[in-house]
This record gives sequence, structure tokens and C-alpha cells, in this order.
Amino acid sequence: MELDYLATVLLSSLSSASILLIATIGLAVVFGLMGVINLAHGEFLMIGGYAALTATRYGVPFIFAIPIAVLVTMAIGAAVEVLIIRRLYGRLFDTMLATWGLSIAFYQLAVMIFGTVTPGIGMPQYSLKIGNYSLAGYPLLMIGVAMLATLFVYVLMTHTVYGMKARAAIQMPEMARAIGIESYRVNTLTFAIGCGLAGFAGAVLLPIVPATPSMGFAFVIKAFLTVVVAGPVTLTGSALTAIGLGGGASMTASFMTSVAGDAFFFLITAFLLWLYPLGITARWRSKM
Amino acid sequence: MFRVVNATGGYGKTVIIRDVSITVEKAEIVALLGRNGVGKSTLMRFAMALIPAFSGHVEIDGHSVPESPARRAKAGVGYVPQGRYVFPRMTVTENIAVAAETNGHSGRVAVESALREFPMLRPKADDLAGGLSGGQQQVLALARALATGPKILLLDEPTEGVQPSIIDEMAGILKRINRERGVAILVAEQDLDFCLSIATRAYVMEKGSVRLETDRESLRADRKLQQQLLGV
Repeated sequence: MELDYLATVLLSSLSSASILLIATIGLAVVFGLMGVINLAHGEFLMIGGYAALTATRYGVPFIFAIPIAVLVTMAIGAAVEVLIIRRLYGRLFDTMLATWGLSIAFYQLAVMIFGTVTPGIGMPQYSLKIGNYSLAGYPLLMIGVAMLATLFVYVLMTHTVYGMKARAAIQMPEMARAIGIESYRVNTLTFAIGCGLAGFAGAVLLPIVPATPSMGFAFVIKAFLTVVVAGPVTLTGSALTAIGLGGGASMTASFMTSVAGDAFFFLITAFLLWLYPLGITARWRSKM
Repeated sequence: MFRVVNATGGYGKTVIIRDVSITVEKAEIVALLGRNGVGKSTLMRFAMALIPAFSGHVEIDGHSVPESPARRAKAGVGYVPQGRYVFPRMTVTENIAVAAETNGHSGRVAVESALREFPMLRPKADDLAGGLSGGQQQVLALARALATGPKILLLDEPTEGVQPSIIDEMAGILKRINRERGVAILVAEQDLDFCLSIATRAYVMEKGSVRLETDRESLRADRKLQQQLLGV
């Protein structure tokens, strides 16, 4: 096996892992940090994708279409929190049922507005040559995007006053209110940020994963498993899990078949959860 | 300056406290005494607006404070709940800083002054609060309440499950805070000795109402009353 092939596989696996991480970060906030099982999370990804696509259709450059997608999904996320999620904190099954219904509604709405097949937007054309092999540039760029997005959420949650309030309001809503934090408002913002991150993922991945009404579904299962395996130190854990599981699955897929890659992902997930029922970071003494 | 007026409240439809009125003057330390289950914690939660008021209200400096915990905190009520309730997955420093910043004070200054006031927290400053011992969590909950810059502190059973050496230290700290910063304190307790060592006045509760109001000397002298009302 040649070195250039190996380097190519490594890089493309790292890029697959990064794509998984980008799709997971929002869930790390909503599910990992807030403990809300939002089964419509994948649909926020889809909404982000369509928002960015629609913006580019109106002539907005792709780079500016991304923040538009984030704002749109944040606004919808805030509305969903106020109308549905807020009334169901601590009621796991009710939350799942309500958000499942929401996901079906969003999906059908997308089918009605956009149809089931949408043309993708062209991938920015640049590529990287390694020996005899050439890799598309945009997926590689996702490695940097994933790192920046993770860093952004980490700094936001651990080094800002909002981040401290957000964690306090989630860990002990009543006590947080008793020291002056408007827990309801803060939780709405945190949920909206989680949805905005999903929208960011849908938008930034648009050149790789074209917008379809069912695109969220493709990501959301692996994203949920990643956050569950990650455990209580949700962000760092998710980054590690995405790199290990996503990267490993992608590598297995390049050497064997894509079915073997998925089998790798789910088998290792099952094994890790058997080994660490509360997630790999259950005994870590750090905060995010 | 701090008044709970005709408080009636409870959980669901069950009334736990009925028509309770108490007053704590500026920079005064007042004890709230009574056996288990007479409604001391419920009164504290009423004062903090953590339970709905069936009737009655809370005043600070003559102004009625809205029925919202966050608004009460900002109006100068500091609350240390029974069972501590520190934010477990935040560091000791963050627990204090978030309380200060929320109320418009500098987090860094508040942390510095808290670590000076409570040296036992200093070696734990960067540890997660959930990993502290019971006594350390109690001290942290107190430091967090002080970081909000309160005019009055509501302490609910601060000595529960805390080792005696820390209880003595806590009594000293509370008296010092009261003297130096002029913070009024209302402390709900079953530990009579602890209360007699810091409070100058006391309300004794029985079956959800205030049975009597007394000062330290009469309570200390009256063994029969202690026996009858507190079971000590």
C-alpha cells in the first residue's frame, strides 16, 4: 500500500469525522447540555440547508447565506422552545412525542414547498493532489470548520457570562432563578443556539450534502449516538467520539465497503456503551 | 426593612403556611425556629417566590417586591437553600462568579473577596462544585448568595449535615458578615445553640403559623418553652 493512498484515506476519514462533528455540535448543546431529546433536531439541519439554498437562489453569496440560515433556525428554535419544549422540561417521553410530531410536520412542509428532489449547489472547485490521488478541497475545509465551531461553542459556554448562566439555568433552574438568572429566557436562548448550530451544519454542508426534506434523518441518528457515547462532558466528548467513531467508520468504509463502515460505527458504539453506560466522559472532572 | 406580610402558601392546593408575618430590621440577625415540618422551609421559599403566594407579599425597604425569584434576588434577597444546591458541574469559581455577574458586579472581584472570606474554598477554586464535601458545599452556597450583594440573607438549615468544627466557623463568618457589611440575616434552624450564638431575636413556628416572637435572653432562660416548642 502506497503512502499517498494512506494519506488520502486518513485525510478523507478525518474530513468525514469533521462532517459528523459539525452535524453533532448542535445536539451536544440541546441534548448533551440541556438534556432535551429533540427528535426534530435533524429537521433543523434540513431547514438550515434549505434556508441557505433559498438565499443563494436570490443571489446571496454562499458565504453570507450561512449566517442567514443560522438566524432562521435560531428564530424557529426559539419559537419551538417557547411553544413546546418549555412546557415539557423533565418529561422525557412527552418531549420525544411532541418533537417527533414536529419533525414529521417540518418534513412534510419541506416536501410541499420544495419537492423531494432539489438540485445541489456546485461544490467550490478546488482540490488537493497527494501523489497520484486528488481530494476535493471543500470536504477537507470542513476539518477546519469543525475545529472552529467546537472552539466557538467551548469558549461561549465556558468563558462568557452567558455560558455560565446557561449552564447554571440548566443544572438547577430554580436555584439559578434564586440568584437572579432569568432561567426561562436563558434556556430559550440556549435551545435557539443549539438549533442555530444545526442550521449552520445544514448550510455549511450544503455543497457536500444537497438539501432534501429527509437530509436531517441521515445525520441525526449518528449524531444522537455520538452525544450519548460522549456522556456528561458533552462537547469535548462529542469531538473525541466523532473523530474516533466517524473517522474509524470512514476508514473501514474506504478499505472495505460503506456497509462495513456503518457496521463498524454501530458495533463500536454498542461496545463503548456496554463499557461506559453513562458515556466515555462519565468520570471526567471537567465542565464542557 | 425586610418584611413578609400575611404569607399564606403551599404546594398544589395544600396550604402549608398560614398568615405568617415576620420582620427583619436592617443588619439584624433573626432566627426562625420550630420542629421539623412546621413550615420554616416553606416560608423561606415563599420569601424567595419559589412557591406561589396564595396571599400575602414581601417588602424590602417599604416597597413590595414582585413575585419572581430572579427579581427578588436582584432586589437584594440572598438565598441559601436547605440541601445547598450548588451548580454541580460548574467550578467553585464559576458558582460565585455567575452570581456576581448576574447582579451587575464584577465576577473576578467577587471571587477574590469570597476566597479571602472563606479560605477553605481557595484550594478547591478550580474543582467542580459537585465534588466538594457537604460542609464545603454549604460554605460555597453561602459565598454564592453573598456574591449577589444581598441586603438580607435567607439561610435554610445551614448546619444540617455539617461537621461541628465548620458549624462554629460558620457562626463566626455570619456574625462578621453581618457586622462588616450590614447584611441582615434570617436563619431557619433546628440547632438552638447555633441560633442562640448568632441571633438576637427569634420567631417560633408551629403548625404553619408563628406561635410567638421572643428575644434571645428569654428563649435562653425559658427551658420549658424550649422543651415544649422545639423538643430540646
